[in-house]
Amino acid sequence: MATLNIQHIDKIYDNNVQAVFDFNLDVKDGELIVLVGPSGCGKSTTLRMVAGLEDISAGKLLLDGKDITQTPAKDRDMAMVFQNYALYGHMTIYENMAFSLTLRKENPNVIHKKVLAAAEILGLTSQLNKKPAQLSGGQRQRVAMGRSIVRNPKVFLFDEPLSNLDAKLRGATRREILLLHKRLNATMLYVTHDQTEALTLADRIVCMSMGHVQQVGTPLELYDSPANIFVASFIGLPPMNFFDVRVSGAELVGEGFRVGLDAAEQKLLAPYNGKAITLGVRPENIVLGNDVPVTVSSNENLGMNTLVHGHIGGSKAVSAKISAKLKGWSDYKYGDTVSFTFKRKHFFDKETTNAIREEV
Amino acid sequence: MSEERTIRRDRMRFIKNSLCSNLAILGILFNVFYFVSLYQSDVGTYYYKIAIGASIVYNLIFMLAVFLASEGVKNYKQNYSYLLAAIGVMQIVRIFYIPMQAHSTTTIIGGAEALVMGNGQFYTIVAFLAISAACLIASAVVNFIKCRELSAHLKELGIQNA
Repeated sequence: MATLNIQHIDKIYDNNVQAVFDFNLDVKDGELIVLVGPSGCGKSTTLRMVAGLEDISAGKLLLDGKDITQTPAKDRDMAMVFQNYALYGHMTIYENMAFSLTLRKENPNVIHKKVLAAAEILGLTSQLNKKPAQLSGGQRQRVAMGRSIVRNPKVFLFDEPLSNLDAKLRGATRREILLLHKRLNATMLYVTHDQTEALTLADRIVCMSMGHVQQVGTPLELYDSPANIFVASFIGLPPMNFFDVRVSGAELVGEGFRVGLDAAEQKLLAPYNGKAITLGVRPENIVLGNDVPVTVSSNENLGMNTLVHGHIGGSKAVSAKISAKLKGWSDYKYGDTVSFTFKRKHFFDKETTNAIREEV
Repeated sequence: MSEERTIRRDRMRFIKNSLCSNLAILGILFNVFYFVSLYQSDVGTYYYKIAIGASIVYNLIFMLAVFLASEGVKNYKQNYSYLLAAIGVMQIVRIFYIPMQAHSTTTIIGGAEALVMGNGQFYTIVAFLAISAACLIASAVVNFIKCRELSAHLKELGIQNA
């Protein structure tokens, strides 16, 4: 397997539209990196540049320390799995998996061994004589992965491989990819817009927006210590609540509510005393309490939890919306008033949108 | 049995028998060369007889049958070996019918005696038929051997022959 160093990479198209700005990442051997972000944020473009399917406008790409920036895709020793599987419909599963090796004119017996081994790993042994059209979406995606495995590439690249699958199959295939990664201990780059996939699969997540990297870190780091409002809002489901508040000594004053600050929070926000900041609270960090009065607008029971949506205070027009994820089963009705307390708070600079953190 | 041979046999479970299939298609191709060479002859009314009509019909049936057989052998169907072998032998037999007769016959064209089929045309036609026959018989024999091997291999694996 391999290490991958992406150094100051830019992508500028012929019409001068810049899709990726100064992308930097060091991928360790055997690491699974997930590039996550909304549509159009440049994550697929970055992956395609790594694969060699897009030219790199500026910067360097190193594989195992060797500069491959100008190396053609076929010589990069990387395998890519696409969203639409890209299987040959007229070939059997066996032939699809063997195809790349056949093109390389490898010994047929060696190809046979590799294909059977990959099929065994992916549970496709009984499907080898079938055509892609006879398989389910999940099985086809496994074939696409198998085609990559037989090549034994240095790096695996996945471009939204689960997007064409239904929710149930997506979960199952996601677990298969995770098992595959553990089994092969391969270096993998995985692109998705689904933050659940990112959180469950990644060793590290690269969160992108508008062509810029917003934060690189472990799933827990991104969830627990988001670098800015974008990351905070993108990671986590339901998304984080944001409120405009003013720091006033030992408390935060918002429209229709006041919340107290503990000693550490007071110290952190001391430079912002009297200033406006953005308060972020995850729905799962909201519990029933006495600080924030909320008028309920909808109540969604999910079994173990209940999502309560509403607005702070009495008037919908002027107050902030809020979503809370309460434990257990609740039956609030439209217009009910309930009071919440914020257990864990995130603070963001209003101007820069960056998280307010202790200086290290 | 060597590991290599076992793998070669096992591959037959997943790889089509394209060698035999292609040989059969080649047999059709050389038969096409044969009848194109034969039907281009312009020697008065010599060929205006029922044998040529039968020959045309046979060529059509031949092409259909060999094409079906080529698909059969592609999937290791042993019975198609017998069909291909029989058709291959028929190609040899055909040399002794129209070509041989035409080669040893003269006809009157424009008041002068002329050979119905010259040596050049005769040897070309014989070559096409012989190559066609060789392709078909080779396809039949190779397929027969492969089918036996595959059948034995599947028996070893405990898999019912498809």
